[in-house]
Amino acid sequence: MIAFVAIPLTLLSMQQGAGSPVAQRLAGRVSPQIAALVEELGTGASARGLPIDPLIQKAIEGSAKGIAPERIATALRLVAMQLDTAAAALRDGGTQLASDTLAIAAGEFAITAGLSGSDITALARTGADAAALTVGLRVAGTLAALGVPPAEDIGLVSVALRSGEPASSLLLLPATVQSEIGRGATPAQAAAGLARAAAAQARHGPPPGRGGGNPHPPHPPHP
Amino acid sequence: MSGHEFHPLVKQLLDGDITRADLPAELRAEGEEALHLLAGVERTAVSMPAVTWRVMAALERRRRRFLPWLLAPALAIAAALVIWLWPGTPPPSASLVTVRFVLVAPEARQVSLAGTFNQWDPQATPLVRAGATGVWTATVTLPAGQHQYVFVVDGARWVPDPGAPAVDDGFGRRNSVLTL
Amino acid sequence: MRSESQAADGEIVRAVLAGDRERYAQLVERYRDRYARYAARMLGSVDAAEDAVQDAFVRAYDQLAQCKDPDKFVGWFFLILRNRCFAERRRNRTSASLEAANEVAAVDRADGGAESAERRRALQLALLELTPDQREVFVLKHVEGLSYSEIAERLSTSVPSLKMRMHRAYDKLRYELRDHT
Repeated sequence: MIAFVAIPLTLLSMQQGAGSPVAQRLAGRVSPQIAALVEELGTGASARGLPIDPLIQKAIEGSAKGIAPERIATALRLVAMQLDTAAAALRDGGTQLASDTLAIAAGEFAITAGLSGSDITALARTGADAAALTVGLRVAGTLAALGVPPAEDIGLVSVALRSGEPASSLLLLPATVQSEIGRGATPAQAAAGLARAAAAQARHGPPPGRGGGNPHPPHPPHP
Repeated sequence: MSGHEFHPLVKQLLDGDITRADLPAELRAEGEEALHLLAGVERTAVSMPAVTWRVMAALERRRRRFLPWLLAPALAIAAALVIWLWPGTPPPSASLVTVRFVLVAPEARQVSLAGTFNQWDPQATPLVRAGATGVWTATVTLPAGQHQYVFVVDGARWVPDPGAPAVDDGFGRRNSVLTL
Repeated sequence: MRSESQAADGEIVRAVLAGDRERYAQLVERYRDRYARYAARMLGSVDAAEDAVQDAFVRAYDQLAQCKDPDKFVGWFFLILRNRCFAERRRNRTSASLEAANEVAAVDRADGGAESAERRRALQLALLELTPDQREVFVLKHVEGLSYSEIAERLSTSVPSLKMRMHRAYDKLRYELRDHT
């Protein structure tokens, strides 16, 4: 049996129009008390130009996991705070970015993963456009979740963003880092190594005859 | 430690180089004591049937580019995640990606996925067991973007994917991260 | 996994090195229990032993190309497992006691009763007080039943030096178990 979960993009969109169906999404999934808190935090967030989807998601998650209401409330307030921090960090990196709710949500994720506001600002200052930066922030958060320390993490993602790497290429970074970790590198070493390779490639173009393939010579057995 | 050392002949007895009969009378008691000590040795055979699949699962996980999971928990839940990009994908913001989730859990009676893409509903996305091997899989089509998920085992245990990056869920546990 | 009639170890190793990864499972299946008891007595618990055996097989796979004599895989594997057992940091004494107690007690419910269960538990705990070298020679001889010369060959050492370790082990065990006689 294959389950296809086709979620309408509007539900996942971080955009919010007037009268966004918050109550609709929460109905039957969270307690009235939590729903009320989400509405309250959401209204404030909305007014500040922040996405509310992360709040809705966290409320649904907490309820599904059977978490006590006080704990859900604490987590929701933390999400709201992180959204504010992300937005402020983006503003510091370039005014137009702070109005992109997808970028803010991505920044919030990066903070959850352990990065700081200044890490977000550093990525924003690479000059990448909102779409690329959004992917960059998601990738940076994922790398942090793999254990890459912030310096090497931002170092790698900045190089990739600056060299105008397409999103599909950015999205391969976590798997590539994981692969290097599997071969014995520390997360920091893996990220730093990739950053050096990316920087060299940006300066000189891809080495002849490789076309971006596996940089390591195969040796049996190949785990 | 003096006074606690066995007589050299008693040690030879323990080594099997001499027998009780070879001990002088004054060492018989010490000899019995020594043999009594040795009788406490646990010699029962030990069998570890789970090791085979645990080893192969660990190797498979690393082949599919995952963090090595060196000290698997007693239940030895392992997972592998394969991302297949749908051919001819339009730009990321509008694309769909087919993802196959895999969990190796031979002792589980039921496994499902709960995550941001299905409202964390443990009943929405069951995994299917492939025969006797204890490999559970589900194939899901997701929009490109940021997702978090966990496996729900036997309806009660919410377990992050050990092979995937993990973040704090804000409730004292961890969620697995899927960035498409 | 393909089913094969009993292929020799060397043949399987060479096949794996040539790219037939799946056949490694045959080696694992063949030898996973062979040193399970050794690992359990060295580490004081079957759970810890299972982890150690798993790690050792994974490491053996990684280093398979360095197995000088593929036909002697099992001896080479034993050394990897041995290193892994020696590397296991001395676990917290309380947890080791509890595990040893639970396991040994479970095994002995069928025979000998409480007194022999207690004796076995005490000896396993006392074994954990030995150095790994001392514990190993004791386990190989008195649990696995190898002779001194077999042990000497396996560990690439001499019988006299093994006997010296063993005799120190006997004394230490006597000391540890002084209240149990």
